[in-house]
Amino acid sequence: MFFYSSLTCATDKTELVFFLFKDSVISTPIRLSSDDSLSVLRFYISDLQITKNKKVLWKDSVRHRLIDFEKGSFNQKSARILFPLNVLGDHVSFLLGVGEKTAARGIGEGDLDPIKGMYWTWQSGYINFKMEGVSSNSPSRKNKFLLHLGGYKKTLNTNQKVSLSIRNPDINISFDLNKFLYEINFKERHTIMSPCQAAVDLSLLAKACFYVH
Amino acid sequence: MFIKGLITTGTIFLLFSFIRIWVLQDRLPEYLPQPFYQIPTNPINNDTVQLGRLLFYDNILSVNNTVSCASCHSPFNAFAHTDHDLSHGVFDSIGTRNAPGLFNLAWQEEFMWDGAIHHIEAQALAPLHDQREMGSSINDLIEKLQKSDFYKVEFLKVYKDSIINSSRALKALAAFELSLVSFDSKYDKMRGGRASFTAQEKAGYVLFKNHCSRCHKEPLFSSNTYEDNGLPIDSLLNDMGREVVSGRKEDRYKFNVPTLRNLSFTYPYMHDGRFKKLRQVLDHYGTIDNQVLMRNSGIKAPIFLSLDDGADLVSFLLTLNDKSFVFNPDNAFPKKLLPKTKDK
Repeated sequence: MFFYSSLTCATDKTELVFFLFKDSVISTPIRLSSDDSLSVLRFYISDLQITKNKKVLWKDSVRHRLIDFEKGSFNQKSARILFPLNVLGDHVSFLLGVGEKTAARGIGEGDLDPIKGMYWTWQSGYINFKMEGVSSNSPSRKNKFLLHLGGYKKTLNTNQKVSLSIRNPDINISFDLNKFLYEINFKERHTIMSPCQAAVDLSLLAKACFYVH
Repeated sequence: MFIKGLITTGTIFLLFSFIRIWVLQDRLPEYLPQPFYQIPTNPINNDTVQLGRLLFYDNILSVNNTVSCASCHSPFNAFAHTDHDLSHGVFDSIGTRNAPGLFNLAWQEEFMWDGAIHHIEAQALAPLHDQREMGSSINDLIEKLQKSDFYKVEFLKVYKDSIINSSRALKALAAFELSLVSFDSKYDKMRGGRASFTAQEKAGYVLFKNHCSRCHKEPLFSSNTYEDNGLPIDSLLNDMGREVVSGRKEDRYKFNVPTLRNLSFTYPYMHDGRFKKLRQVLDHYGTIDNQVLMRNSGIKAPIFLSLDDGADLVSFLLTLNDKSFVFNPDNAFPKKLLPKTKDK
């Protein structure tokens, strides 16, 4: 199920909530000045699961999920998937990306459908993480930045495993957009559209931006 | 009497169908390596293959409904694009590379001259989105197909429901392309003991083994590798080849080693179609200068052949032509796509 924050659902079970970013974070952006904006933010999470002592207690029944923010939805400041849970684990983990095996296979359906704009047409493979927008620091045309992070082959693999420790049955996972934008040097890294070292570096940065709060 | 006649006709028809299926399933010689993809059996009765065949020949794939896959991959040219060095697409745009023949694709690990595409189902996305080819998008195509009464019926036939999505369309195209199998050349007949080479072809075969077979490996006459074959750089195209995909400098000017099968039908040659005649290709390999050979080339020395040897080699290469594949009506334009006229 996919809910925007405006449609917050109350459930009597404990929840795993997948936030994109915290309201408080987006309300005081560090890097995005009034002229700057985000227009696209989409990424795949795969194999979401909760473990205790490395034993899997719960596994998302859907293998790959595309977290997608359309332009208008940024006003909502967060998007969330709610999973009613009744387990108490010590770690929540997922893969940021579709994974090497899925990438190496052919065309998928549902969230993996190439009409979602997350498949390179000139070069095969899924884009694991896509962020586009405008930053006054970007020297490219119209100050745009296009970060399409993909690549699944050994040396340039952008699939990143995220594992976060949890103490609470209610799990809120957030993506720290501030940290991500703060650490990118848009002067040098504004246009990435193929598997490359910069894509691997930024996928590691994205990995480090997820946290449980 | 009538019923008896009907039964006899039915039996003959059934027998004919079985023979046809048997022939089609039996057409793969045993000397072939293991393919990367499964080849659809009995393609003419395979609904997915036939749906793919419709899509392959349909201009609906391009932004302004003028260009189909077959525009640059014509069946009569072993699905290559004869007489154009660089292939052209919508609004008379000219591309940067020569359209290769399409056959025996199940044995190909990666696709395109630079191997940019890693899976056959994903391949069609490249020309579909390229502004110099079809200038469209998978989103537009699926929308058009969903609106088409014709395709609603065709998809229903294959998938037993009315869902039209990109996965189904791309898988169907791939199925048709994988069904294009060409192993009925004189070379194959010779290997199967059904034909023998002339003295000249035999001599050419020896030359081939000595000079060409390292890259153009039998029996596919390709090798799923990328090589710099020493061509002078076309400064207008300045095509970096495999380097664009791999990001490795050592891959500069390397291109996929193409198959030598069906050469008579797939001219012009090389990734940019610069040579119209086989003779020019042989001349190139005979005259590569040392400076180019320094360039990390797959060829270590010029392959100099006398005129006689060249003629022998060409006579062998011609044994790789498979006319029964090129003129197979089962692979040709499907009559279903012909516009329906009122006079009919």
